[in-house]
Amino acid sequence: MDDALARPLPDPGDKWEVQVRKGCLELAILAVLWSGRLYGLEILRKLADGSALIVPEGTVYPLLSRLKAEGLLTSEWVEADAGHPRKYYKLTASGRRRALQMARFWSTFSANLDGLLAPLQKEGR
Amino acid sequence: MTDPEIGQRKMKQYLQELAAALRRLPAEQVRDIVEELRSHIVDKTSGNLAPDSVDRVLIALGSPQDLAGMYLADDLQVRALASSSPVLVLRSLFRWASLSFAGFLVLLGSIVGYFLSASLICCALLKPIHPHTAGLWQIPDAADPYSYSIRLGFDSVPPGSKDVLGWWIVPLGLAVGFALFFLTARLGLRSIRRLRRASPLTAYRKKVEDLQ
Repeated sequence: MDDALARPLPDPGDKWEVQVRKGCLELAILAVLWSGRLYGLEILRKLADGSALIVPEGTVYPLLSRLKAEGLLTSEWVEADAGHPRKYYKLTASGRRRALQMARFWSTFSANLDGLLAPLQKEGR
Repeated sequence: MTDPEIGQRKMKQYLQELAAALRRLPAEQVRDIVEELRSHIVDKTSGNLAPDSVDRVLIALGSPQDLAGMYLADDLQVRALASSSPVLVLRSLFRWASLSFAGFLVLLGSIVGYFLSASLICCALLKPIHPHTAGLWQIPDAADPYSYSIRLGFDSVPPGSKDVLGWWIVPLGLAVGFALFFLTARLGLRSIRRLRRASPLTAYRKKVEDLQ
């Protein structure tokens, strides 16, 4: 397998971890698109490289289609050197606003949670 | 048959099944989805479509039916959330009901809610037309002395029955009927949002099982 995307989670039965990953997926997709347009597989690869977001591939394409339907992304087909066209996604203005909003929420949220977790981390050492 | 031809055939079959499962969407959108996944499969097998690589890529994507299910659920939801029409709410819930038990319960609840609300509103509207048969009736019953029934007034009331609300059914039936209608729509839409977050998990679990 040439990437980690299709690898099962260490413990697929762990609902909470799956939920956390999934909850972050939307933000992660908007974030990887922040600096420019990408096609589906590039998005998947960036998600796998840049984070612990091991994402089942089958969930990303329908999610991209929903984000597009919600007006956060636009897409266009681009003829590639590979000999076949690829569908590129790009953030819309409202997608950029939404990404910023989610990122702000995430920063506050994770800082607060880290504060709560400090005693546990001391214990863990 | 050479290897790339076998791979090509596997990919073609997968995409055909996907298109068949997506047939409820506009043709343009189906073509778009199918082409996007074709380009994904070709890219992931580095363009050579070796049968083993194609198999791995297809397993990672999940079955065409599961994948289509996620597209369809998202599509209906977006429309249901935008319109809150009972038909779309129920269609969307119907789809979720096939994916999860919670979805099934919500679907049942919504059907009951819409049905009751429609009965109350019809009853209130029919009271002026059939004043002696429409209404909320208490009907004598050997097993249960308090058996209530909403009657629309198309056949005569059993002897000994009592019209509980009389003409009050008109304002009360309309008020409660409409309140119930909006409550059901709201609960349905809220569940659609919630189930949307929960459901890819089911598909994902299945995929993990398939891989093992």
